[in-house]
Amino acid sequence: MPDQKITLTVNGRKVSRPLNGAPRLLDFLRDELNLTGTKEGCGAGECGTCSVFVDGKLVKSCLMPTLKADGAEIQTIEGLSPVGSDLTPVQKAFHKTGASQCGYCIPGMVMAATSALRENPDADIEEIKERLGGNICRCTGYTKIFEAVEIARDVIAGRLPPVTLEADETSDSFIGANVRRIDAPSKVAGKLKYAGDMVMPDMLHMQVLRSPHAHAKILSIDTSQAEALEGVECVITSADVPGKDGFGVFVHDQPIMAREKVRYVGEAVAAVAAETAQIARRALALIKVEYEELPGIFDAEEAMQPGAPVVHDYAPDNLVKHIPVRKGDVDAGFAEADLIVENTYSTQQVEHAYLEPEAGLAYVDHDGVVTVVSPSQNITHHRHMLSEIIAKPINKVRFIMSAVGGGFGGKEDMIYQGMLALAAMKTERPVRLVFTREESIIASAKRHPARITYKMGLKNDGRITAASLHMISDGGAYGMSTEGVMRKAAILSLGPYDIANSQVDTYGVYTNNTPSGAFRTFGGMQVQFATESHLDICAEKLGLDPFEIRRRNMMRAGSTTHTQQKLETCSIEEVLRVAEEFCRWERGAPTSRGAERRDLNGPDVRQSCTLGARFRMPGDEADEKQEVA
Amino acid sequence: MVAKNNRWARGRGMAASWYGIARTATIDRAGAWAELDDGGTAKIVTGVTEIGEGILTVLAQVAAEELGVRPDDVTIGDNDTARSPEAAHAGATRQTYMIGNSVALACRNAREKLDAELADYWQVDIGLIEAFNGEIWARGTNKRLTMQEAVDLCKKRGVVPVGSGSFTAHGTGLDPVDGTGAPWQAYVFGCQVAEVEVDTVTGEVQVLGVWAVHDVGRAINPRGVEGQIEGGIVQGLGQALMEDYETVDGHTTTHGFAKYILPTSLDIPQINCRLVEDRDPRSPLGAKGIGEPALVPTAPAIMNAIYDAIGVRITSLPATPEKVLAGLAEKRAAAMAAE
Repeated sequence: MPDQKITLTVNGRKVSRPLNGAPRLLDFLRDELNLTGTKEGCGAGECGTCSVFVDGKLVKSCLMPTLKADGAEIQTIEGLSPVGSDLTPVQKAFHKTGASQCGYCIPGMVMAATSALRENPDADIEEIKERLGGNICRCTGYTKIFEAVEIARDVIAGRLPPVTLEADETSDSFIGANVRRIDAPSKVAGKLKYAGDMVMPDMLHMQVLRSPHAHAKILSIDTSQAEALEGVECVITSADVPGKDGFGVFVHDQPIMAREKVRYVGEAVAAVAAETAQIARRALALIKVEYEELPGIFDAEEAMQPGAPVVHDYAPDNLVKHIPVRKGDVDAGFAEADLIVENTYSTQQVEHAYLEPEAGLAYVDHDGVVTVVSPSQNITHHRHMLSEIIAKPINKVRFIMSAVGGGFGGKEDMIYQGMLALAAMKTERPVRLVFTREESIIASAKRHPARITYKMGLKNDGRITAASLHMISDGGAYGMSTEGVMRKAAILSLGPYDIANSQVDTYGVYTNNTPSGAFRTFGGMQVQFATESHLDICAEKLGLDPFEIRRRNMMRAGSTTHTQQKLETCSIEEVLRVAEEFCRWERGAPTSRGAERRDLNGPDVRQSCTLGARFRMPGDEADEKQEVA
Repeated sequence: MVAKNNRWARGRGMAASWYGIARTATIDRAGAWAELDDGGTAKIVTGVTEIGEGILTVLAQVAAEELGVRPDDVTIGDNDTARSPEAAHAGATRQTYMIGNSVALACRNAREKLDAELADYWQVDIGLIEAFNGEIWARGTNKRLTMQEAVDLCKKRGVVPVGSGSFTAHGTGLDPVDGTGAPWQAYVFGCQVAEVEVDTVTGEVQVLGVWAVHDVGRAINPRGVEGQIEGGIVQGLGQALMEDYETVDGHTTTHGFAKYILPTSLDIPQINCRLVEDRDPRSPLGAKGIGEPALVPTAPAIMNAIYDAIGVRITSLPATPEKVLAGLAEKRAAAMAAE
């Protein structure tokens, strides 16, 4: 097909370009016009980070072929506040309320908010929420975003003075003051460059060949055809690693690319650096890998059984780490109890879903320093590991942490920076890699799933005499943060309660599932989900109020923790007191707090969600629901 | 509670929590450099900062307060292993505690140099010198300069007011047999209450309100702390009700956001925050942290609220409509068997 020419107006300026292939509008804006404020979060129209206006209508630019925009008028985030003009009220309101955190979803969110107020300048909160429904934010919990849109609406309508959008007056201290985020103006204007937005002259593009098997021996890798493809600068495999291959947060069990065998679906096997991402993708199809499939192990408890397939030779029992914590005499504690309650709990694997997929740019500088720019949450440790992997002194390895578009622990693992470094060393050219959403989901670590067996003994007055907790967690194919997660889970397991007799065991286990790793709370939420559920079950059996059973067992200053550390200070009593009063808690055992409830449906809850706020007519009752007979 | 013939049932549940600040069961450390710069501005350099939580702003506030300038005057150079001092990693609820305190110490070190020159110049006791918001003065005297003038004076006397700081958190390892140890020097505590509405026909759970009370030691930026709490709660809500990364024989079946369901604007409860400030006695700032602790109690509070609403105990996350309906069916069957 002959190349075509396209003419359109972008942010008020006429643009004419020949089109090669059939790029999405998103690619055209980012790659041709360098308008990188428009971000790619999913490439499937599901997250809204790529939202732009096309002829005044909010459109997800990842879903729109550029050809379809021929003759159209496009406005991007950069066009909202063009050079020389002030931020818009919506952008200023996002700055004022703290509505941007990592900032990666924010250009799209600002576009959606702008659209909402353009479509209906008097949109109420329910309509605003509905109009933002196509835009995902993983950091903020949306609350400050709603506040920003409402403030912007009222300033635009003249109901609030413009000064509402400015900084608060300085008081007598900057500590404890709501200073506006210093990085917010760059985020709300789409000016902040994330790693995937960066380009360097002569830059190559990397694509990664990933394992289709959960557990298989690699018999051979033939890269010759891929290397012969025009535009391919290099193909790398584990054979290109010059030093001691292996990374991980606690145990260095993961090679830069699969070595001798693959252990999970999506594991990197080889990588190509080429003049364009398209050429690199074509080259991947030319790499021939011969696998011999091995029996896989997909369940943590089965992995602990004798005879189970072994994931790593160094750990024939598939155990990554067992953490025991003991205090007092549990048998005596259970014997003393009036009531013993046992139950099991489970939690699932959870994806971090930061809106910025993994991306990085590596180059070798004029002094021979191998430099990796990426949204790494741990540049210090990555530098140490990479220096061993590429056999260079530490000062010849440099990590720069680019703006992080959400991390939550998921960007602590060095799962792609090593490949970038190797390709930059092999070609002496800058190399960039940007994950797709699908690639991010299959290749990156998840929150550890957990199976927890709980036993608690209590006196009739609610005092806990003994507790035991046994947790098995699927760590997946590589160690990553599993050891630390098991440790933190064990330490925090039984909650903020002073329990004389306890026994805790946490086990992290290798399987051929997607690895589990660091994720906000690092094991803390799984165990405390079990503890806090269990305490309510016990409270009901004893006829106690949930706050009361916790107060009767809570730690105080001077208490010893489950690991027998003496606490200098302890605020749980105050926290419980404030919470109970703040929420207007109605006392009573769970499910038996009376038929006449006064605590529910107060002024501090939202109305339940009913779709259609956009189409409501004036005078309609917003909260009306049809009863089903 | 379910009123008779009422499709929608509401309930409330609570959960408490605790958490340790900074790296677990080990010594943690972070370093920073500070310089009072020309024009009364300041440079701060440290090895790790922003992942979205707002630490850049917190550091600018800390530096401004310690140096006597404004947050807008502070430039933060950061995050480069070849150009900035080590501050380790961005995680473990350690940023405000570790980096914040190391920046405070670096700033105090820089101020000592500036204050010494001014004390000598003004012939006053160094302990009288105070600075805030771009001005520096000697208490009880009429000696006063703008920070721009003070830095200029200091440099003309041959001294560049630079400082460095290193902050340590003393955790100890756990005994491998019985787990005894002092993993953190600072702990935080929290409590959340959730109010839910359960649709007993579809099994769908909506969280309408969350009351979150967290001890953060000292809130450097209360609005930023709220933002962390709101974000944590919504991640906790996602895990409680909808998020589930699933695999079959190691192959994921949830490979995009069409299959992996995340909370959107329509799932968000009204979040009501209260902060408790039990200052950390072991650090210059007294602040602790909030990033991770904010989401710990959310899921159990929601599960306890579902139980309060419909008498169904969900012990396996997430509480999908299918699980809620199965729980209701089981409850009905048990009630019928009992009749």
